[in-house]
Amino acid sequence: MTPPETTPARDIAHPETTATGALSKKGLGAGTVGLVGAIVIGISCIAPAYTLTGALGPTVAEVGTHVPAIFLVGFIPMLLVAFGYRELNSRMPDSGTSFTWATRAFGPWVGWMAGWGLIAATIVVLSNLAGIAVDFFYLMLSQIFQNPDIANLTSNPFINVVTCLAFMLGATLISYRDMQTTQKLQYVLVGFQLLVMVLFGIVAFAHVAGGDAFDALPISLDWFNPFAVGSFSAFAAGLSLSIFIFWGWDVTLTMSEETKGSNSTPGKAATATVVIIVILYLFLSVALINYAGVGDGEFGLGNEDIQGNVFFSLAGPILGPLAILVSIAVLSSSAASLQSTFVSPARTLLAMGHYGALSPKFSKVHPKFFTPGYATIVSSIVASVFYAVMRFISEDVLWDTITTLGMMICFYYGLTAFACVWYFRKQWFSSARNFFFQFFSPLVGGLILGVLFFTTIIESANPDYGSGSNIGGVGLVFILGMIIIVAGIVIMLIQAKLRPDFFRNKTLARGIAGDANEADAALPE
Amino acid sequence: MRYIVGYTDTSAGRDALALGIRIARTTGARLDIVLVLANEERPTITPADPGYERFLRETADRWLDEALAAVPDDITAKSHLVYDESFAEGLLEASRILEGGLIIIGAARGGLLGRFTLGSVANTLLHSAVVPVALAPVGSRDLLEAQPTGGTISRITCAIGTRAGAHQLLDAAIVVAKNAGIPLRLVSLVALDQPEGAEHPEATARAEAHAAEVLAYASEHLPNDVTVTTEIAGGTRIEDAVATLEWKPAEIVLVGSSRLAAPKHLFLGSTAAKMLRELPVPMVVVPRDSVLTIGDPS
Repeated sequence: MTPPETTPARDIAHPETTATGALSKKGLGAGTVGLVGAIVIGISCIAPAYTLTGALGPTVAEVGTHVPAIFLVGFIPMLLVAFGYRELNSRMPDSGTSFTWATRAFGPWVGWMAGWGLIAATIVVLSNLAGIAVDFFYLMLSQIFQNPDIANLTSNPFINVVTCLAFMLGATLISYRDMQTTQKLQYVLVGFQLLVMVLFGIVAFAHVAGGDAFDALPISLDWFNPFAVGSFSAFAAGLSLSIFIFWGWDVTLTMSEETKGSNSTPGKAATATVVIIVILYLFLSVALINYAGVGDGEFGLGNEDIQGNVFFSLAGPILGPLAILVSIAVLSSSAASLQSTFVSPARTLLAMGHYGALSPKFSKVHPKFFTPGYATIVSSIVASVFYAVMRFISEDVLWDTITTLGMMICFYYGLTAFACVWYFRKQWFSSARNFFFQFFSPLVGGLILGVLFFTTIIESANPDYGSGSNIGGVGLVFILGMIIIVAGIVIMLIQAKLRPDFFRNKTLARGIAGDANEADAALPE
Repeated sequence: MRYIVGYTDTSAGRDALALGIRIARTTGARLDIVLVLANEERPTITPADPGYERFLRETADRWLDEALAAVPDDITAKSHLVYDESFAEGLLEASRILEGGLIIIGAARGGLLGRFTLGSVANTLLHSAVVPVALAPVGSRDLLEAQPTGGTISRITCAIGTRAGAHQLLDAAIVVAKNAGIPLRLVSLVALDQPEGAEHPEATARAEAHAAEVLAYASEHLPNDVTVTTEIAGGTRIEDAVATLEWKPAEIVLVGSSRLAAPKHLFLGSTAAKMLRELPVPMVVVPRDSVLTIGDPS
């Protein structure tokens, strides 16, 4: 029972003492997120198994066999905008991202709409993710019990919606409580996902070689030629879909700011991630077109009934008894993506609440889990309601949500890109680096996305657009896009009445790179 | 002497702080209010977001400032924000570096949805802490608010058996009672120790002998102005024992952790939780192999 109170008291909260270094392990230490770790996070966020099953069908519907070409071209605007995104993120690291940056560059009104666009896009994707997960959940059950009737349960809207809500509830709980999987499990899941996708493609090719493919279509170099796409509107529609498949990739670039001691790791990780993803997309899309063709036969990629979720229909014919691997891969990929996607609307809502652009309730942090609890629950409820309503009014909910999503991504990414260009306007020409990353890349990327956005809006008013869902002869995707944007404007006007400070530039001032207010944009106290 | 208060911006955190204030006032210790944020080095599926991390840090600093503001002027307190794997790990690390003599945590309400339920946090702490751990029951804050300036510990109850470690626990209780100058009540748990179906009268006789023995030992080591009393816990379960005793709102109970573990139950958490649920007063669990320093003058 000897008292240890002999050494002078040390204070662990204040940096002047040595004890601080030992206790406050802030930031990622060098090597904790190494090259492999960063690639794993990147691939996990993109969730290739999920995105491809959701996007391949709709893209084939637009551009036929030219999917590989469109996937290659789709990466360009994504890369250009990601450069701008990285510039803004390193200057104003803020959880509000697009909302905060667009507010700083263009003022509160445009900033509010950029935040709204981000939230809408992520909420739409949450509902699509959960929808895909429901399909594969019942497919997996039917594979386990060898009873094909179980797979059909997913087409019952009531069972489907209830299951989807259960999944959303699970995902919400995980996000709300900030439960994280271990790094090992993440590696295993991502590795498994990639292996299954490769196996899927190889077996598809084997069927073609063996002569028992569904509708073998010989591979042609023409598939890789973007200029061979029939019309500009088809090209634009395909492009806006392929933007979606690369969505999430930019995280590998922005992760850079936190990896200490290794300047080249983030760049390498981003490059490696995108190379892996592009190769995987090209390989699989070529394999599946090669195997099933783009006709509208039972398993043809042109068959409208299977286009919303092609792996769901093709896994069985291609892999036979091993098809369950695809179900597991898509399910685990959706689960990982659901978790990483949930964070983004919640954090943007938190920032909007914090700056007074929305109710301050949104800026509440849970005292135990340290997550934006209120914002997480609100996002979850909105996404669930959105899915439930869509499931009943849309003929092809997955397809329509993917198309709407492409449009919303173009909207807020485009705004973010222009925000970058405008925010750095005084230093465009101060160096070749600035010119390229702060002016040229985001400007071109933003212009491409802007054109895509307006083209999609105009085209989608046509009732035959995309899946052909329509209400009173007007395309459902157009109606959805308009509802989202108009609702955004209405809610913004209400907020402007309720909380005028933000809209008078009082909480987050409009500015320019290097001005006195720059530090404020990084969430002041 | 420094006490570590495991703080969260919840009623459980405020209960812990309230208990910390009362014990610190009794023994003259200072408080170190520690808030633990998740270590960013942990693997996450979502990429790190420096903007959000900073927002969290600022929010946590604000919570700590509010906690400090709630500490009365007669108590010296300091706040610390630490990063660690878990709440329990962070408290242990802070206690190690600050050389804390006691770790105080609040009991989780409901438990089902709380990450820091009594079970997990108390378990980790009780299995690895080398200092005692105090568990503040729900409502500790109300008690302190009822007696804003004079809130101290009125009595120490020491639940004591015959197993290994019991003697150290008794010594610890004596030291605390002596230093704080407050009454000590010794509760013999020997009657609870009997195997199923054992003769009742014999058990009671043995418990009485044990009680007399510890009483003699305690009286010998305590000054005359500190009252010592003994009681025998009845019943065969810890819940019964707790129910049969009389409790004062401002007392604390000292128990040895190994003493509490039920046969075949290695996990302390369930028993501690059971006892805490029944106990209307704070419980201080002294780890089996710990060097007890509570209230020990430097």
